[in-house]
Amino acid sequence: MEIRPILSALLRNKTGPLLVALQVALSLAILANATYIVNERRAVIARPSGLADEHSTFYIRARNLDSDGPEQRLATFKHEADLLRAVPGVASVAQVSQMPLSQSGWNTSLTLDPRQERQSATASMYLSSDSIVHTFGLRLVEGRDFLPGERLDRNEKDKAEPPPQIIVTRALADKLWPGVSAIGKTLYFGNNEISTPPRVIGVVEHLQTQSAQIDEKGEFSIVMPLQRYGDSRTMFAVRAEPGQRDRVMKEAESVLRKSAATPMILEMRTVDQDRKDRYRGDVALQWMLVTVSLLMLLITCCGIVGMASLWVTQRRKQIGVRRALGARKVDILRYFIVENFMITSAGVFGGAALGLALNQLLVSKLEMARLPAGYLAGGAILFWLIGVIAAYGPAWKAASISPATATRSV
Amino acid sequence: MFAYYFKLGLRSLRRNRALTALMVLTLAVGVAASISTLTILHAMSGDPIPEKSTRLLVPQMDNGQVDGWAPGEKPDDVQMTYQDALNLLKSGQGERRTVLFGTEMPLEPPRKDMPAFVSDGMAPTRDFFAMFNVPFIHGQTWSEADDARGADVVVLGRAMAEKLFGDADPVGRQIRLMGFPFTVTGVVDHWNLRPRYYKLIGGDTFGGADDFYIPFASAIRHEAGINGGMSCTTKREPGYAGMLASECTWLQFWFETRSSADRADLQGWLDRYVGEQRKLGRFKRNVPTHLYDVMAWMEELKIVGNDNKLSVWLAFGFLALCLVNTIGLLLAKFSVRASEIGVRRALGASRREIFSQFLIETGVVGLAGGVLGLALSFGALALIGMQGPEVAAMARMDWEMLGMTFLLSVAAAMLAGLLPTWRACQVTPAIQLKSQ
Repeated sequence: MEIRPILSALLRNKTGPLLVALQVALSLAILANATYIVNERRAVIARPSGLADEHSTFYIRARNLDSDGPEQRLATFKHEADLLRAVPGVASVAQVSQMPLSQSGWNTSLTLDPRQERQSATASMYLSSDSIVHTFGLRLVEGRDFLPGERLDRNEKDKAEPPPQIIVTRALADKLWPGVSAIGKTLYFGNNEISTPPRVIGVVEHLQTQSAQIDEKGEFSIVMPLQRYGDSRTMFAVRAEPGQRDRVMKEAESVLRKSAATPMILEMRTVDQDRKDRYRGDVALQWMLVTVSLLMLLITCCGIVGMASLWVTQRRKQIGVRRALGARKVDILRYFIVENFMITSAGVFGGAALGLALNQLLVSKLEMARLPAGYLAGGAILFWLIGVIAAYGPAWKAASISPATATRSV
Repeated sequence: MFAYYFKLGLRSLRRNRALTALMVLTLAVGVAASISTLTILHAMSGDPIPEKSTRLLVPQMDNGQVDGWAPGEKPDDVQMTYQDALNLLKSGQGERRTVLFGTEMPLEPPRKDMPAFVSDGMAPTRDFFAMFNVPFIHGQTWSEADDARGADVVVLGRAMAEKLFGDADPVGRQIRLMGFPFTVTGVVDHWNLRPRYYKLIGGDTFGGADDFYIPFASAIRHEAGINGGMSCTTKREPGYAGMLASECTWLQFWFETRSSADRADLQGWLDRYVGEQRKLGRFKRNVPTHLYDVMAWMEELKIVGNDNKLSVWLAFGFLALCLVNTIGLLLAKFSVRASEIGVRRALGASRREIFSQFLIETGVVGLAGGVLGLALSFGALALIGMQGPEVAAMARMDWEMLGMTFLLSVAAAMLAGLLPTWRACQVTPAIQLKSQ
């Protein structure tokens, strides 16, 4: 393994090897960071919303253009919900205040003690006097769902007080009461003093907020067995039987329109659509990163092949002389592979340093996360492999040079 | 000699086709990636109203609670309460002023064949149209009297006017909003600025145009629903009136000053106003007020997100890689012409002449790369635009970016060509002229 001669030959003519090493370094630095970001986003997009069957769930934003009083409106909405339940293929219906991933809804700040200075957490509120646990298909890990007697319908003009029982998500329970069961614990909304603060009676495993924030806040939700009536607008969440969503959507819309005496404005949306809209930017970024990474690999590969071919052409006579003096084909092959390996190694080490520096820049300027060491290590191995494979073709061509070229004068 | 070298450059492009093609392609791909991401960034962050952007100012006052707050933290919301908006409107400060919020309401068209639908619009005061240079194609904005008493009048967006009334002039006709008849006083031409810097809060920053505009006082009188964000940090009475009287923030306010110099006066007035209100027990957090002009406001609200910046950085990193690759290819290309250079030098060409010849040659490569890069940029922008209509509206090339493409391509090629060209100049004629 003739390292010294290769090294001194490289050092004699530095430009070419330096360029290749620089390309490898740049590619590795960018590729490692890009791959990490793609994986990170993938993890974010894959988070469960908590709904048992997202593909079968949809919701209807309904608005009656009537001028009824609040009690009449409540009765109309209850009647409409019953009509929806009667549609064949409907598994469950609930009148809800907001939907997860819809990017529209309400948040509230929570405290464990009304006198405390800072809020303990901010959570999203899902209000319904029907069973959200049943309609969304949420998984209860502790406690129970609300009893029929605990569900309240309240006029929106009445004083706004939280109901006596609430359900929270596991993430919120762990944040507010780490290590202990949340059942029976009380919460305060903001700094309002209430004589009977609401008590947790159940914990669900997952229920994302309407904004599905990237950090822990995306899982802080509260379900309240309360409905405020009086507004002309409402939202019905419907879970259909698997595979029947589209048909059920059409039937539900026509059933509602037929039932209304006054004109009705309906907007139908599916949870699938909401999920796509919420993560549209992340998916686009992923595609861009993947495309650019692949192009970079291609360009680096071409660069290595090009340079290696050039050197082979430049050193024809030298190779011929070596062969004439007794070098075997495999010796020439090994020479070029080792040379390429050394250049790639220089590039890989430079790339690792560059990658860390780039990551540091991303962390400080663009609020990205730190790169785990595995990505740089994996990238290094990838580029070593690429280097060897790319150099193999020209190296083999070099090995096939006949010794007779040494003796030719031209 | 420039024209001669240019012709030589063009001819050399044809000489070694494979190498040239590879070089031009590499450069083109790098330039395309950079230009397409830059175009989007440019569209998102360009000055939307350059003639006025330093004179349109947003006041920001922090009326949050003191509990659970540490000095230096950002305010909960940058919007304004109803009380403050009314006070600022009455103040007469600045040349013009307007308060606005986004609203959505059911619209019943006058045509019997069209069912009712929910429409998105805005509720500004009258000065809004003059402040933001909104163009009218029919009629005009409502009168001052209508503005003051909250009359049932409406200005339609062009798309909505065409949807409801076709090409006819709808001024004087009526539509039903929230169940009440509203008279059309004017139609606004296609005016869909992205980003919608005048109403940055409440989503839809890059979305469709507003369908309608009704007077602020009318919207309040009819208790119109809010299509935006609201933040309430204290208890409020239930009902719409309770919301108006509370410390909930949900309104956006703009001042227009006569000149940028008036900004200091306005800031002073704003500070005095908050001082007075503090004596009444409001504005418990003792923080200074702020005035933001258009560009600062867009910056404050982070219109250009981190992902956009990441895309641009990535694209330029990619361009850097393409440049390094191009350097290598150019080195190879010039190295085979050593004998040609030797002959030129022997015949009397100075090093500088050789330098300019080969630099212009790389410029020609850059130009070719620019042409191909432009075509690829259009393709890339079309691909990016497939994400959705909002992004597609941003992913549009304008003349500035077109010129930028060629500039970037030629500059990048010349930068890459510096080293190979310098190497070419170092060729010693004597060695090249030996017959062996």
